[in-house]
Amino acid sequence: MPILRLVAGRILLSVLTLLIVSLIVFAVLEVLPGDVASRILGRDATPEALELLRIKLGLNDPAPVRYLHWLGGLLSGDFGQSLVSSRPVTDILAPRIYNTVLLSLYAFLLYLPLTVIPALIQAIRRDRPVDHGLSIVTLVLLSMPDFLLATILLFTFVVLVPILPAISLVDHSSSALDYLRAMTLPALTLAIVMAVYAVRMLRDNLIEVLDSDYVRMAELKGLSAKRVLLRHALPNALVPTLNVTALNLAYLVGGVVVVEKVFSYPGFGSLLVDSLQLRDLPVIETTVMIAALVYVGANLIADIAAVLLNPRLRTA
Amino acid sequence: MAIEQVSAPKQTSFRYRVLWRQTPQSFRIGLIVLLVHLIVAITGPFWAPYGFSQMGTGIPLSGMSWTHPFGIDQLGRDVFSRVVHGSHIVILLSLSGTAIGLLAGAVLGLLSGYLGGWFDNLLQRLLEALISIPFLVLALIAIASAGPELSGNPILVVLVVALVYAPRIARIARAAAMDIATRDFVTVARLRGESAWSVMRRELLPNATGVLLVEFALRAGYAPVLVGSLGFLGFGLRPPTPEWGLMISENRALIIITPITVLGPGLALASLVVGLNLFTEGLARILGRTVRLGNQ
Repeated sequence: MPILRLVAGRILLSVLTLLIVSLIVFAVLEVLPGDVASRILGRDATPEALELLRIKLGLNDPAPVRYLHWLGGLLSGDFGQSLVSSRPVTDILAPRIYNTVLLSLYAFLLYLPLTVIPALIQAIRRDRPVDHGLSIVTLVLLSMPDFLLATILLFTFVVLVPILPAISLVDHSSSALDYLRAMTLPALTLAIVMAVYAVRMLRDNLIEVLDSDYVRMAELKGLSAKRVLLRHALPNALVPTLNVTALNLAYLVGGVVVVEKVFSYPGFGSLLVDSLQLRDLPVIETTVMIAALVYVGANLIADIAAVLLNPRLRTA
Repeated sequence: MAIEQVSAPKQTSFRYRVLWRQTPQSFRIGLIVLLVHLIVAITGPFWAPYGFSQMGTGIPLSGMSWTHPFGIDQLGRDVFSRVVHGSHIVILLSLSGTAIGLLAGAVLGLLSGYLGGWFDNLLQRLLEALISIPFLVLALIAIASAGPELSGNPILVVLVVALVYAPRIARIARAAAMDIATRDFVTVARLRGESAWSVMRRELLPNATGVLLVEFALRAGYAPVLVGSLGFLGFGLRPPTPEWGLMISENRALIIITPITVLGPGLALASLVVGLNLFTEGLARILGRTVRLGNQ
């Protein structure tokens, strides 16, 4: 099966890429800065404290040995201990990842209507004021940094129309409704940022499909405009958008860093920022590796989906 | 039937006007927005009503007024003056970072696409890996690696922008080089015995200008967002630098009292990026290329 071989090849390449990512992460965080112990403890550290940390981190070994040791830990699921709280990284990370996965699912749920509805309106009212207006709105949103969009949404729904909480602090004791309320603003921000890319693309695809012969054929058969649009045009226009959706998943990994920080949502992205501020090396390394893993995985899925959906790519 | 007299355009200004009309509308609007930003960036420090860290310019948090269009922050500084003073910082950092990224990315990508072989393979894997780290995460760990002595240093921010963009630009340059390398004039140059470096500089680079120009404009459009995001998260420039992202983060806590102190710098940042995006889209259309605006 040529497809299977193609897919297997892509998977192998992805694994190789991740290995190189791990080399880069290790080099950037543990080799380039010179003495990591004094970097973590700061200038005022006593020699005893520095030596203790060096032993704890195994810094007295040569770099290649440390790298292999670290990589072995990653692969076997042992991510080490946090330098700040001395808890295993796994324990710190698990609830954060759970929160971020929930947030991402919510964001994707909002993303679908936010993409399809404006694109449909634009395609039906092509070159009319509504279409131009929405094009300007998507361009402005596309140009808006996510932290600014988040801040404006926060201002709108917390100050002007006070229906949502400003700070999205949740923990395992929060009720489902609390979770939903806390997640709405960050999810909405992420959904809007993702949707603007897809809307612009889906609008163009829809217009192209609406001009095609088989849509005209469907119209001439006497089908209702609604049926032609939703059953004939939309599914065909959606296929290229799927690729964007997979890339959006990749965006999400970086996007949550800023958005979670803005809303103080206890997820994976805010953990990365916090641990960078605290110079908590094991936590930083693990979160960066997970981010890269999701990114590579999303791109892999996009690639494979493109090959499965478009037979012409199979020979490449 | 009288023969119509067709007179040649007399003035050069007329010719320019015709040329100007032929450009896409997005290009024109984008260029005007960019020019306004550039003029403010260059002349701003001379006419800004107050200094960027001058305190006591009015009642703190007193909101919008004719003398203080963007309000006053909690330290009593005029936000409009700070935005004006910050303009050249944001533009300078973004452009120089993107330019260094373009230079490094173009050289690496063109050479890699032209040479092929193990060099190309190795470099591709490395660039692929760098791209696989979400760009903000890459920027953050690069800053963490540089250490506390360098944090807040503008040169570090410039280099980080370059580091984030270089692999992405190299990927585009590589694809362009692989296409150009199949043409006859490249083969001739190679048979003349020219070195790879000279082929790249004299054959590949001039023919990839269009692609690289659009790529530069596209990346430059998001550089202010990257610089702003770093400032917002507290990993970019240090206070009291009037960098827009940093200002938004400083004034955010008091958005309930004076929303304009956040919306003002936000408007400046968003309008700059809108201008750059429109310009990029227009430029791509003039050069006969398609561009997908976006940060991905």
